[in-house]
Amino acid sequence: MQIKINNKKYEVEEGETVLDVCRREGIRIPTLCAFEGLPREAVCRLCLVEITLTDKLVTSCTLKVCEKLEVTTESERIEKARRINLELLWADHAGKCATCKRNRMCELQKLAEEYKIENFHFVPRKGEITSSEELNLTKDNWSRVVVENENPCVSRNSEFCVECRRCINICPEKKFGFNHRAGDVVVGTPYGEVLDCGFCGECVRACPVAALTDQNDFSKIIESLDDIKKMAVAVVDAGMEEKISKQFSKMDRREKLEDILSKLGFEKIINISEKDAEDEVIKKIKTDYARKEKINPEDIVVFFISSKISKKAEKGKYLNYVLSEREVVRLVRDKKII
Amino acid sequence: MSNTKIITNNWGKIDPDKIESYIAVGGYSALKKFIRDLDAQTVLAEIKKSGLCGRGGAGFSTGDKLSLVATQGGEKYFICNLDESEPGTHKDRSIVDNNPHVLLEGIILSSLIIGAKKAFIYINGHYEKQKEILEMALEQAEKNEFLGRGIIGSCYDLEVEIFQGAGAYVCGEETALINSMEGNRGEPKLRPPYPTGSGLWGKPTCVNNAETVSNIPWIILNGADAYSKIGAPCSPGTKLYILGGSIRNPGVVEAPTGITIRELIFNFGGGLPRGKEFWFTQIGGASGHLVLESELDTPLTFSRECPVSLGSGAILVVDRSVNIYDLILSWTGFFRRESCGKCLSCREGTFRLHEIAGRLQDGEISDRDKESLKDILWTLNNTTFCPLGKFAATAMGDAILKLKILGD
Repeated sequence: MQIKINNKKYEVEEGETVLDVCRREGIRIPTLCAFEGLPREAVCRLCLVEITLTDKLVTSCTLKVCEKLEVTTESERIEKARRINLELLWADHAGKCATCKRNRMCELQKLAEEYKIENFHFVPRKGEITSSEELNLTKDNWSRVVVENENPCVSRNSEFCVECRRCINICPEKKFGFNHRAGDVVVGTPYGEVLDCGFCGECVRACPVAALTDQNDFSKIIESLDDIKKMAVAVVDAGMEEKISKQFSKMDRREKLEDILSKLGFEKIINISEKDAEDEVIKKIKTDYARKEKINPEDIVVFFISSKISKKAEKGKYLNYVLSEREVVRLVRDKKII
Repeated sequence: MSNTKIITNNWGKIDPDKIESYIAVGGYSALKKFIRDLDAQTVLAEIKKSGLCGRGGAGFSTGDKLSLVATQGGEKYFICNLDESEPGTHKDRSIVDNNPHVLLEGIILSSLIIGAKKAFIYINGHYEKQKEILEMALEQAEKNEFLGRGIIGSCYDLEVEIFQGAGAYVCGEETALINSMEGNRGEPKLRPPYPTGSGLWGKPTCVNNAETVSNIPWIILNGADAYSKIGAPCSPGTKLYILGGSIRNPGVVEAPTGITIRELIFNFGGGLPRGKEFWFTQIGGASGHLVLESELDTPLTFSRECPVSLGSGAILVVDRSVNIYDLILSWTGFFRRESCGKCLSCREGTFRLHEIAGRLQDGEISDRDKESLKDILWTLNNTTFCPLGKFAATAMGDAILKLKILGD
């Protein structure tokens, strides 16, 4: 089947959405909610396009291709819709880019740059309020915020949340959902409890902003990497090279992992494969290796570089820190080594 | 204009708590007629011919909707939408208060026509008393064999269950209603699939408004021709109008469609109270359009050509003594609370609209607000997931356009 996008013909297959086709053909359509294999929720209202079948703007993420379909992806009206909706979203966003964990890796920040969004039209939502406090609906425009750092692996701060629903849909344990209604909507756990799950890390991977991030004490990590008396050892999990370079590509960078790690201050790098038992490898560093090299185990800082953020809960005698691909890139960004 | 009363015919004459009282005035004879002499096909054709359309506000042809489900095999459901939560609208509540059995008879008939063995009444969470009335009515109907296994000796079975919502406005929208019944968050689903194809638990489901349903017994007894002769040809029948605000006789009245707003306010409602000067009227609840004096002769219909959408049938009369800013704040506040928060434009748009309405009331509105007001109304009208966004923008848009609240 053929459809027309911006007056150009494209070969498409039945069942595809217009967004799928555009992504494949490299036609830019901004979106925050459509993500990999997740169900299309059409909630961010940014991927709007015009079609000849109706006067209405339609969301390209849910629009299935059909015979004689003619799509326009850029027009004054589409531009207007995207600008207004992004402005509305931006005014509800924390706007703390300079100190944000996802600075330069944030999907909303990229869109805001692309569409030149600033807090001009709408008064930013002032700050945080816990759900137990009552809002004065007319006088205050504070938004409800959930900040939770009590679980060992995932840091949650809904001040940054864009309500895209990716975490809700990707979570295999269905831990997240919308709490409250309308402008008070906040993505959270049932009854606002502390997040308690298997910590597969999928939600952190899917989050387009800094609402869900890796839990870590960053200042301590940087301190121990910079400490010349300490020896930093990195145990690199299988497949991390690729994952980290994918993160760098978000910042339009290409770097070799080994170079990066040594520039960050790691003195020893151990690559493990899927067959290796990571716990064994990690344990050996502060025991066998330390004995052989005659190093005091106290002076060794062991990092496990892996996507398995559930390992963060297992930090202890033999393992000091777990760094995900996102945190490696964040370290690089914060230490300004590239 | 005909004075035919279809729904309110027996109001005040019968005891709503007693089924005998309804049977004494000819109640359940439509059901008996259907079971004795008619089949689903014939009745379906008759309902289609009558031109009856959805009274919830959208005005979709009831016959078409019923047959979309009737033509499908397997398990299916009928749901009576009694979620009624449009501000100033209480027609469905009045039906239950005054004659619950006409509604029940309509539900039974609709279910049998489409071949459903299970029907639900989705009732607004605030309607505690009405829920009790309906529970009693269901019990009485079952005792009289109008419900249950083998309805009045036939091979038809039907079970009717009351489902109490939690009082969310958006759950009046049929996909949100179904979501809520399935135990999910009350928010609209992506369409297609439409409920008629894949509704409750993925089965074909027909969701009809309580007022629509209450018309069915009359159509079966009196025929499609008699029905289609009442009211406006494009959307025939009678309609319950809810008169409220600055009016001498507030309440629910039944009048044909196609009636003008002026007739409703001045003939049925007795005009405005002494000393009050008419300013404008809002048709169809908080989501309705504003109508000025000069447009009062507009006939009210469900047709798309009708300049004023009838909506739920609520008519709010506003006189000159009303502070328009208070009213705007109440409209925007309603949608700021009742938006489900699923899509960005409605969630943030209704929030900002209410915020600006607050400043408008305080007299602190800035040029920046005026600019953003235009943007918000535009995005609510054009980019939201479901029609609630458009509803939220209607009254404010009209207040700017017709009442010139921001100047010319």
